[in-house]
Amino acid sequence: MTCQLVTIEKYTQLEKGEVAMKAQTSDIAFQSSQINGMNVHILPTAKFKTTTIVTMIEQALSEEHVTKTALLASVMKRASARFPETKQLREHLDFLYGAIFDVDVMKKGERQILQIYMEVPNEKYLSKEDGLLEQAIQFVGDMLVRPHVENNAFAEKYVTQEKEALRKRIESLIDDKMKYANQRVTEEMCKGEPFSLLVQGRVQDLPAITGQELYRYFQEITQSNPINMFVVGDVEPQTVADAIRTHIPLVRKGAGELKFDVAEKHAVEEKEVVDRLDVNQAKLNIGCRTQVTYKDDDYPALLLYNGILGGFPHSKLFVNVREKESLAYYAVSRLESHKGIMMIMSGIDVNKYSRAVEIIKEQLEQMRAGNISEAELTQTRATLSNQFRELLDSARGMIDFTFNGVISGRKRKLDELLAAIEQVSIDDIKRVANKVTIDTIYLLRDKKGEA
Amino acid sequence: MQTTVFEQVNETVYHETLDNGLQVFLVPKQGFSKTYAVFTTRYGSIDSHFKTRSGEEINVPDGIAHFLEHKMFEKKDRDVMHEFSKNGASCNAFTSFNRTAYLFSCTDKLDDNLNLLLDYVQEPYFTDASVEKEKGIIGQEITMYDDNPDWKVYMNLLKAMYQKYPINIEIAGTIESISHITKEYLYQCYETFYHPANMLLLVVGSFEPEAIMQLIRENQGKKEFPPAPQITRIFPEEPAAPAQGKIEAFLAVGLPKCMIGIKEKETGLTKEALLRRDLTTKLVLDIAFGTSSAIYERLYESELITDSFDFDYSSEQDYAYTIIGGDTPDPDRLVATIKKEIEQLKQKGISQEEFERAKRKKIGNFLRSLNSVEFIANQFTSFKFNGNDLFSVVPTLESITREEVEARLKEHFLEEQMAVSVVRSASPQE
Repeated sequence: MTCQLVTIEKYTQLEKGEVAMKAQTSDIAFQSSQINGMNVHILPTAKFKTTTIVTMIEQALSEEHVTKTALLASVMKRASARFPETKQLREHLDFLYGAIFDVDVMKKGERQILQIYMEVPNEKYLSKEDGLLEQAIQFVGDMLVRPHVENNAFAEKYVTQEKEALRKRIESLIDDKMKYANQRVTEEMCKGEPFSLLVQGRVQDLPAITGQELYRYFQEITQSNPINMFVVGDVEPQTVADAIRTHIPLVRKGAGELKFDVAEKHAVEEKEVVDRLDVNQAKLNIGCRTQVTYKDDDYPALLLYNGILGGFPHSKLFVNVREKESLAYYAVSRLESHKGIMMIMSGIDVNKYSRAVEIIKEQLEQMRAGNISEAELTQTRATLSNQFRELLDSARGMIDFTFNGVISGRKRKLDELLAAIEQVSIDDIKRVANKVTIDTIYLLRDKKGEA
Repeated sequence: MQTTVFEQVNETVYHETLDNGLQVFLVPKQGFSKTYAVFTTRYGSIDSHFKTRSGEEINVPDGIAHFLEHKMFEKKDRDVMHEFSKNGASCNAFTSFNRTAYLFSCTDKLDDNLNLLLDYVQEPYFTDASVEKEKGIIGQEITMYDDNPDWKVYMNLLKAMYQKYPINIEIAGTIESISHITKEYLYQCYETFYHPANMLLLVVGSFEPEAIMQLIRENQGKKEFPPAPQITRIFPEEPAAPAQGKIEAFLAVGLPKCMIGIKEKETGLTKEALLRRDLTTKLVLDIAFGTSSAIYERLYESELITDSFDFDYSSEQDYAYTIIGGDTPDPDRLVATIKKEIEQLKQKGISQEEFERAKRKKIGNFLRSLNSVEFIANQFTSFKFNGNDLFSVVPTLESITREEVEARLKEHFLEEQMAVSVVRSASPQE
């Protein structure tokens, strides 16, 4: 938190995650198999000095489950049967050469994912260590199969503390005005859809959740919800598979597919929402429906569309809102491709609100008309392809890309996607542009000035 | 070209100082797809009082290093960002207290991109109109930081610790201070601080080192530079004591944010001594406040801190400080508790087991960060500027003893060196 802040960047790169939400390839060659009812994907590579183990448990995003899943993530990481005290558990992680360990939740379209993240150094770089990988897998097994339970319930002490911690985390959303504005526009735009839920859950659900109920819920999702486990590092796949089989003996009751009814929403008319808070800079967020998702044939065209509109510093939004009119420091667009949403975000002087909306709408219109220069198209193709190729240097990036293929039901290879990006024509982009509609225009502004 | 092999971490560094004084370092990474290059000058927000090439002593407006960084992207005949985009590269730049860095990453056309980077940074082009236009953009950037409570609590802490030294000034300046920036000032700063002899180029990633070094030599060989100026930076004398006990500010936040700073008394360390003190202090911090420490456990269980709790030690030749803190429902009680805990830890001392565990953790985390070419590039540069080698972190860590760590705890963690910064909502309802 502290040392990262001491620099100021030329332009703000928001949520790189979306790009990381795409790629799969002959170059990202996970070996997949079923072990103990889980889908296990192993990628041996000598590139990294650590081994990364990521376990994803899927849940349908819903009012009923959202808070429980988030609370479960926090309670799980406090203790296990082997390490009933948090301090012991964390000492053990330090002993494993500062293993990075976390359990948290994330939102992918209408899914809530509970993710267990573990990363340990590769033994090759440590003078007298072996068995570190096996110990890491055992530790993940502790989380999934051997939790710390008292009388068929998670320990009251941890449940109480983590409820309070989660409440604070939810309430602190307001600290980061970009994130806050993004959540608010999502809520307004997707009223009545599960996607409107904050992935950390709702404060009002917390009091009713007991340690017993949470443990029941833990058993339910570890037994029945889809689980994907990814291992990336300089590893021998057979050794990894054996260790998983031994240390993570999950008993699964048919890893059922989750049911989703993703309703196609069409924005009938533009909504306008204004919130007031004690801020200096206003945040203008415009939520759009794209009608195109990850699994669709038009997905590569959507990537180009978003890239030309607002993905890069050569994009229309950056050039027109920032460089030509000096209206904002950042003006970008980002996709949520599992849901079919695009968010336009910018930080502006509140007095320039109308002008900013006008210019942004003009850019959307330009896209619809296919007013895209050859340079814009080539630059976007090149930068987009570069971003996807960069995924190959990050264990996390390769895992996310592959997981997106798994959950969307359309497994693209990275090469295939790169080839598709080369093929997209201006007509394709125009077709996508004409599906994109503004749903909600959201303004977070100061408390001064007229209403 | 000089080659250094760091066997323990399996990395090789190639180095050459060019005729014009530019230091070049190359770190090839086997099996990686991307390459990351960063071109850095030893010039940051604190360098606002200096002697120009002609020997004249001047004060320039606050925020000018950052402003200059923005303006480097503007050229008479081309748009730098678009040029990089054409090659698929993503480029950016950043300014800190004591350096300005220009960087790109790419998976293709490395030769073109490197030439582009060297050329645009070595070809200033400032006009009155473009300087005026940038004031609007940077004005919005400043406003964005004004609303950022993490930034606010951090900057205010520096203000509480430092009485005169210019790290107590915002990197981007203020809307008022940047209004005084002119193209003449920009050229003066550029001529003083952007000579190749004041700069360092680092390339990390997927490439053949000899060919890339040759490309850099040729690019630089074609350009004419005046002799390297003698850079004279003028800094005020900073007293050892903190500027004030506490600064409080108001912004819309969920929970108050509270940070405690501990200002280093002794300055002037360089090279190995600086690195050793840096790593030793970070070990103390981890033993005292890390997530597996008894203090962390007590603070968390008493709900005085959240998982936003963090700590860090920053050190440069002229200034060094520790920061500890995060979100808390009760800043005053958090500060009092941390002070008390530090005194108790001094009484109790540090066990061999705690010490070994913290060391293992640090070594593991360091190895992990070597997976990232971005980390290597940026850290390598700041290590070099302080006369150190990034890849010698592991041997240095290994050589630190428990006794040193304990002595450091007593030497640095002094109540009279502490200052506090708090950001809270104006009204509890907010």
